[in-house]
Amino acid sequence: MSGTGGVARKGIDRMLADVPLEEEVVLVRIDLVGEDLEPLLERGIVPGCRVCPVRHAPAGSPTVYRVDGALVALRRETASCLCVRSALEAAGLLDPN
Amino acid sequence: MNPSGGPAVAAAEFSSGISAADRRPLVALAGPPNSGKSTLFNALTGLRQRVANYPGVTVERRSGFAELPSGSVEVTDLPGIHGLSPRSPDQSVARDVLLGRLEGGRVPDAVVLVLDVTRLSPHLMIAEPVLELGLPTLVVLTMADEMDKGDGALRVRALSRDLGVEVALVDARSSAALEPVRRFLEALCTGGEEVRACPVAAVAKSAADSPQGRTLPVIDLFAARRERARALSRSAGFLAPRPSRVTQRLDALFLHRIAGPLVFLAVVVFVFQAIFAWAVPLMDGAEAVIAASGRYVAGLLPEGWFRSLLIDGVWAGVGSVVVFLPQILILFFFIAVLEDSGYMARAAVIADRLMHRIGLQGESFLPLLSAYACAVPAVMAARTVENERDRLATIFIAPFMTCSARLPVYALLIAAFVPAEPLLGPFLGLRSAVLFGLYGLGLVAAFGTAAILKGTLLKSRPAPFVMELPPYRRPTVRSIATRLLDRAKIFLRRAGKIILSVAVVLWILTQVPRSAEGGPPDIGDSALGWMGHVIEPAIEPLGFDWRIGIGLVTSLAAREVIVGTLGTIYGVESQDDTSFELQAALQRDLDLGEAVGLLVFFVFALQCMSTVAVMRRETGGWRWPVLQFGYMLVLAYAGAWAANALL
Repeated sequence: MSGTGGVARKGIDRMLADVPLEEEVVLVRIDLVGEDLEPLLERGIVPGCRVCPVRHAPAGSPTVYRVDGALVALRRETASCLCVRSALEAAGLLDPN
Repeated sequence: MNPSGGPAVAAAEFSSGISAADRRPLVALAGPPNSGKSTLFNALTGLRQRVANYPGVTVERRSGFAELPSGSVEVTDLPGIHGLSPRSPDQSVARDVLLGRLEGGRVPDAVVLVLDVTRLSPHLMIAEPVLELGLPTLVVLTMADEMDKGDGALRVRALSRDLGVEVALVDARSSAALEPVRRFLEALCTGGEEVRACPVAAVAKSAADSPQGRTLPVIDLFAARRERARALSRSAGFLAPRPSRVTQRLDALFLHRIAGPLVFLAVVVFVFQAIFAWAVPLMDGAEAVIAASGRYVAGLLPEGWFRSLLIDGVWAGVGSVVVFLPQILILFFFIAVLEDSGYMARAAVIADRLMHRIGLQGESFLPLLSAYACAVPAVMAARTVENERDRLATIFIAPFMTCSARLPVYALLIAAFVPAEPLLGPFLGLRSAVLFGLYGLGLVAAFGTAAILKGTLLKSRPAPFVMELPPYRRPTVRSIATRLLDRAKIFLRRAGKIILSVAVVLWILTQVPRSAEGGPPDIGDSALGWMGHVIEPAIEPLGFDWRIGIGLVTSLAAREVIVGTLGTIYGVESQDDTSFELQAALQRDLDLGEAVGLLVFFVFALQCMSTVAVMRRETGGWRWPVLQFGYMLVLAYAGAWAANALL
């Protein structure tokens, strides 16, 4: 099992933890393996899905994200392992729908 | 699941040996957490349900019977799952039940799969491995009300056709929700044609959940599964409802940078106050009823050992069990309201930063806080922590929190040995400062222990914190009542037996050997007194004599019992912690170092059989409680010794 699933492109791709609130992005790659990966995958956090940060917890972390109609909270460390691309740029590269 | 999204092939008609008259069909309720599964289960089975643990694990097994016109069906409510890979105890159990490895080797005769329609695509991903099992399945899509409110759309028939199984869209909380489920179960009982096995032939054999099949990276399997789920949603014309306005507004408040922590603090103080203070009249009431009924029964019996056994042993033992119920019920009332309303997940998000520092998760906060009232309900409340290792760590450190049973002991010793002098003018007295210090010491021990545990026995790479925030909902009376009833039954049955046995054994130890006149001996001459003498050499380095030794043994029943025991041993009539006579007796017997040593001993030691009993139940064996008892005893001994050496 490896944390692949998409090809990262330098300059375009960022980590989810660095995405400002309310900016919709598309998940490109997950830099986690094995047991750490499955809880995300099972909740539909899979390369190709759209993610939008909605709110930070009062302490700054975790952050609440909207994923496929659900609200999911991720810590900063986890969000730093999710490589994303802005939804607009991804439109031509991936088919989010 | 049908990979092409096209019509399913003709389903095989369901037929199995369930018509055998002596066997009731077994139906498994499966689905992710917060999908309304338990609401359906409660509505189906009413009060005809049982809660126990699955053998060898700490996962709870909830089962009951649904009565139908043509017979009854056994329904088992599987733990909430996000998939069937055995990565957590919950998912292993769900998987094993569905594969027929549990439930006495029976494969369920049918599955009712409960999914949240507002999250159709991700939940169809969860559905895929369950449908692949090929069991007759009814898919119940809940939250129909949210779909209506948010103008969502779905062609249920199209989805049913594509999945090849019956699909019903319901509002799990309305009484109408039961109809399709009861129809499905009725058909199962009568072997009717409506119950079809899931068409395995049409199912994409995903290998994600079978170990042999792990040829593709798991991420690709899930990506493919997600694509199939999205194709199914699209084909059924699924339009997700708009996100709930109420949820957005409440989150803006509850997760606000300033208001959020304030609301959190208010909720926490409220719950704490309820279990700490408001439970007291109920506990006093329960004790008074037990005492009054004991006196009444005693009046009917002739004096003698039997009356003493019944009243001082069994009756008092029952009292020491029942006295915990108000706190347990009040705490679980709040937990049920907070969880069902959706606030608990927000509270966990707020507390996560703090708990993360000691290697735990936000969910551990409320159990640990409630441990300040009593470790018994706290250990039970640790069930809200999803991650098994973090749950064990939470249970393990909960008894370090200063519970209310320690207070009488602290009050007695502080009053006897700490002068009532101001420390910071009128703001803080020396006695309050010492009490505060004892609370702090417990907290430091708890956090230190958590750090040690998470670095050794419960070592795990920091698991990613993935917490779903369900939409806010109004809790239902039925759901709350069922949960309270469950907890009360579990506590009385499991922990109650052990607590009662300990109380009776302690009574016997005070009764033998009989005195020359045939009556009970003085406590110093009893078997308990003998135990005090036996452990005296062990506690001598701490400056404790056999009298304190007896107190330590009896305080195993409940910490505050040591106050009464010492009162009896010193022959003091008024045996409460404000008794000046008892304080004077202790001042004669203990010097400052020894008194502080005794205080420190009570900060650390697990002098509470009720906690041990409930830990055994909640961790599924003796391993953790024994380790816990030994660890806390060593800490207590070392702490008391150090206090003696330093002061």
